Amino acid sequence: MNFDWSVIIDALPALLSGAKLTVLITVVGLAGGIALGMVAGLMRAYGGPILNAISFAYIELIRGTPIVVQVMFIYFALPGLADIRVDPMSAAITAIVVNSGAYIAEIVRGAFLSVHKGLHEAGLALGLPTWKTLLYIVGPVAFRRMIPPLGNQCIVSLKDTSLFIVIGVGELTRQGQEIMAASFRAVEIWSAVAILYLVMTGTLTLVLRTTERRMRIL
Amino acid sequence: MSMVEFKKVTKRFGTVLVLDEVDLSIGAGEVVVLIGPSGSGKSTLLRCINALERIDGGDLLVDGISVRSGKSNVRVIRQEAGMVFQQFNLFPQMTALDNVAFGPRKVRGASREAARKQAIELLAKVGLADRGHHYPSELSGGQQQRVAIARALAIRPKLMLFDEPTSALDPELRHEVLLVMQALAEDGMTMVVVTHETAFARKVGTRLIFMEGGKITEDGNPIDLIDNASSVRLREFLQHVR
Repeated sequence: MNFDWSVIIDALPALLSGAKLTVLITVVGLAGGIALGMVAGLMRAYGGPILNAISFAYIELIRGTPIVVQVMFIYFALPGLADIRVDPMSAAITAIVVNSGAYIAEIVRGAFLSVHKGLHEAGLALGLPTWKTLLYIVGPVAFRRMIPPLGNQCIVSLKDTSLFIVIGVGELTRQGQEIMAASFRAVEIWSAVAILYLVMTGTLTLVLRTTERRMRIL
Repeated sequence: MSMVEFKKVTKRFGTVLVLDEVDLSIGAGEVVVLIGPSGSGKSTLLRCINALERIDGGDLLVDGISVRSGKSNVRVIRQEAGMVFQQFNLFPQMTALDNVAFGPRKVRGASREAARKQAIELLAKVGLADRGHHYPSELSGGQQQRVAIARALAIRPKLMLFDEPTSALDPELRHEVLLVMQALAEDGMTMVVVTHETAFARKVGTRLIFMEGGKITEDGNPIDLIDNASSVRLREFLQHVR
């Protein structure tokens, strides 16, 4: 078989616009997911029995169901259930927020609880309230420990966006699929799609590595 | 008025009785050395003073404030009772100088400049004027513990609590920490020290307390108690630690 470069060149504008959507969903989704995960993780680690139970139920619900089912639920089931109508893009971003949030919650909890108890006590012993101790002392140490697993989650979430093909978001995989249907050049198109994903995850890895190098892991 | 007042204080860990109706009064300027076998409750007694452990029965007053009188009062007590830990517990993400300046900044609301100036003075006082920009991981155990003492002093406490401050140190590093503590005692600081350093107790301590099974069983002048221990248990204990 001959590899036809012109197919890729013709498909590139559409693929790049798909990649742009992929990046948008990932960045906005992860920003929300990190915020949600922070709250849920701290509720798990330091909340009372009630907050802990709420957070635990959320994490179990999300970790126990596939992300495809979650996004289908948001897009197709919510309108029937609660008369909430969302466009595919919002459904996709919400799915990433809710899904990554559950995993990030466990990352946050693990990192905070891994910090030596003595540091927390040293903060309290100075007369700081618990929240300031977490913010100024335990948090910065925990944050450094979160970077490697958080990086993992970012990459997983980025690749999970390809599943949103099922609700018709025009992200990268969907674009590839559409061009494929018209041109039947599977090798060229899927190679190009794979390489574009690699470029995106590679960039993420690079960003993470520089962050890690700048912050000494404690 | 005494600085620390235990009134029939009881503390349990689960079903284990760690402090058994302890009565104890510590006056300003006293240097109290607490000794006893492991599990006797001496560290717990110390940690009850700044409410790192919650008491289950009785009452405990620090400078007239009860440890059971609510969160904000507990924070006041903690600002009046500086704590030095066995494992130093310095903040690893901060330099020695920032460790010392942290309390005044965040607890006392001091300005950056004032906190920094005070931290430099305190580091000089513990003999580490040239180590301010080092991170804890770049310091020896003895140096870390001296930074920890400076950090506790920075919030200007009326009372200092030491929880086995030299137990995690090599013998030659203990000396430098003990010297700093001795200087502090000579400045008139009220101190409660959990330690096995009987030489320190003799030389610096004004009062020696021996604990066993959650009770204070001996309480007196360090030199008298160490040299002529009347109780068999104390004599046995002193033989083991010496």
